[in-house]
Amino acid sequence: MKGEKLRSLSFFLSPMIAMVGIFYLIPLVFTVYISFTKMRNWNTEKYLSEIVGLYNYQRLFHMFQHDPMIRAILLTTVVFVGITLIINVFGGLLLALGTFFINESSASSIRLLWLLPRMSPIAVYSLVWYYFFHGSDIGTLNSILLKLGVVSEPIPWGQITPWGVWSIIIFVNGLVGVSFGMIVFTSALNQIPKELVIAARVDGASAWQISRKILIPMLKWHFLYVLTWQFLSLLTTYPHLFLLVEWDLVNRDYGTTLALYVFNTAFGRGEQDQGLAAAAAVLLSIIGIMGGYVTLKVLQFERMIHEPRGDVE
Amino acid sequence: MRDVETRSRRYEWLIVAVIIFASLPLILGFALLALSSFSKDMITNLSLESFRPTIENWVNVFQGKLAITGGIRQNILKITFNTLVVALGVSGIVTLISTLAGYSLSRMKFRGRTVMMLLLLVLHAFPGVALIVGVYLFYRLTFPQDPSLVRIYSFFYVVLARAALEIPMSVWLMKGFFDTIPWEFEWSGIIDGASRIKVWWKIMLPLIKPGILAVALFGFLAGWQDLIYVRTFLIDQTLATFIEANIEAEYSHMPLIAAAGTLYLLPTIIFFLTAQQLLLQGYSGGIKG
Repeated sequence: MKGEKLRSLSFFLSPMIAMVGIFYLIPLVFTVYISFTKMRNWNTEKYLSEIVGLYNYQRLFHMFQHDPMIRAILLTTVVFVGITLIINVFGGLLLALGTFFINESSASSIRLLWLLPRMSPIAVYSLVWYYFFHGSDIGTLNSILLKLGVVSEPIPWGQITPWGVWSIIIFVNGLVGVSFGMIVFTSALNQIPKELVIAARVDGASAWQISRKILIPMLKWHFLYVLTWQFLSLLTTYPHLFLLVEWDLVNRDYGTTLALYVFNTAFGRGEQDQGLAAAAAVLLSIIGIMGGYVTLKVLQFERMIHEPRGDVE
Repeated sequence: MRDVETRSRRYEWLIVAVIIFASLPLILGFALLALSSFSKDMITNLSLESFRPTIENWVNVFQGKLAITGGIRQNILKITFNTLVVALGVSGIVTLISTLAGYSLSRMKFRGRTVMMLLLLVLHAFPGVALIVGVYLFYRLTFPQDPSLVRIYSFFYVVLARAALEIPMSVWLMKGFFDTIPWEFEWSGIIDGASRIKVWWKIMLPLIKPGILAVALFGFLAGWQDLIYVRTFLIDQTLATFIEANIEAEYSHMPLIAAAGTLYLLPTIIFFLTAQQLLLQGYSGGIKG
């Protein structure tokens, strides 16, 4: 029986373990290792065996202190993560509450519409905003404002540092993130006993009073979940920023977050410096791991893991 | 809320109007892109004069003519096919691995199970950017010597590497689907002495079809829309890298790029219209962004 169980367990689990080993654990070790080498331009033959100790980390901290470009990137990361997080969480909450109070068919079309940014291919999504915020009169936003007579000349939104750039990257990523909060909050709202809401309505409470006194207090756990989860995501994902910067829609320095900086330093145009990129990636991972740990503690994920049913011993 | 009797309808139209107003840029942006693909010029500046209807762009896309003048050609069908290969590959691998692992995590008791599930959650939260440098080094170190294998190898690698990113969440999602099946269904099979593998294959998989469909769909969309992994690892072009490369190219005829973009959007729209319930449920699983 023991051997039988071992055989079936390895049948079920070994493909997953192999994938995790090859594409998470080994790369993690590799990244840490590269951060201690002088690796550049992927010249593995020359640099892979040349260990330089903490050189890349020293360089990175030196840049944090003295390089205006890196300082712009750090500032952008802080502002971008902070504001987008607020928009994602509260936007998601507002959409969930808004659709809670309207009829079901309009509600589900609206929810679906707000999933569009998440579902569309990143290249198409970026293309849409490329034209929307374009700095000349072909840009949709500019042409609307020109037609309304609000402005007399097209405004190069993405080149106004810092707030013009920040507005665009926050807007574009905010739309993608809102749907996450929206869905989590919607499913939470649907689990609230209807009697509570009906009783309040019978007593004449308005939608606003119902939201504030009944619904929102019951969403605390989900609120924390969305907040911490989105924080981690915003800190470390960059694909939606990548093309906006590459196509010069937005200013390079103020449109780049630390995660995008890591990617561009390792794989971008011009000279590539993987040693430095890896060091920055390791720093980001440390923040990410700490954030992940806090998430697990705050949300007590252990409670989500039940004992398995149906195992015959 | 489905309590029709007591719901006040007074402010309903107001809420809908506010949400639609907030959604305007989204609707406008996508509509203008799709409309431009049927026009001689881009109509992003909302002037009606630039909308001169034509299907020329779509014809040119399928013939691969990138510019109105000059002979610059790209085999867009090949590029679409490449995108499809990546998407189907990711979808297949994610589905297979998560139906296997999801079953054992849902139904079997073994040491390390709790740790494994926590680890999967942590991996899902783990910074992707910290991985890609290492994933690329691994790619370089395992690169085939024989040049004729390089292109196939790059497909193989991009599919596996991209699928790996989806695995933590899909395993959790799949485990959730297995959890919903009453376990009396497999009980009789196990009592009769069938192995777990046989029970999984004969009894569970047919019951779990909606879950398999959901995971396969999300795997497909993930592979189909990917930009970062395909441009880093894949030697051939996909629709994502095609659009990326052609925005700044001097010779590009932009309505044609709009047509390619709309073509790229098609599976999304198809799923959008056909699998609505599935999408609304599945995305609560928490894809990053």
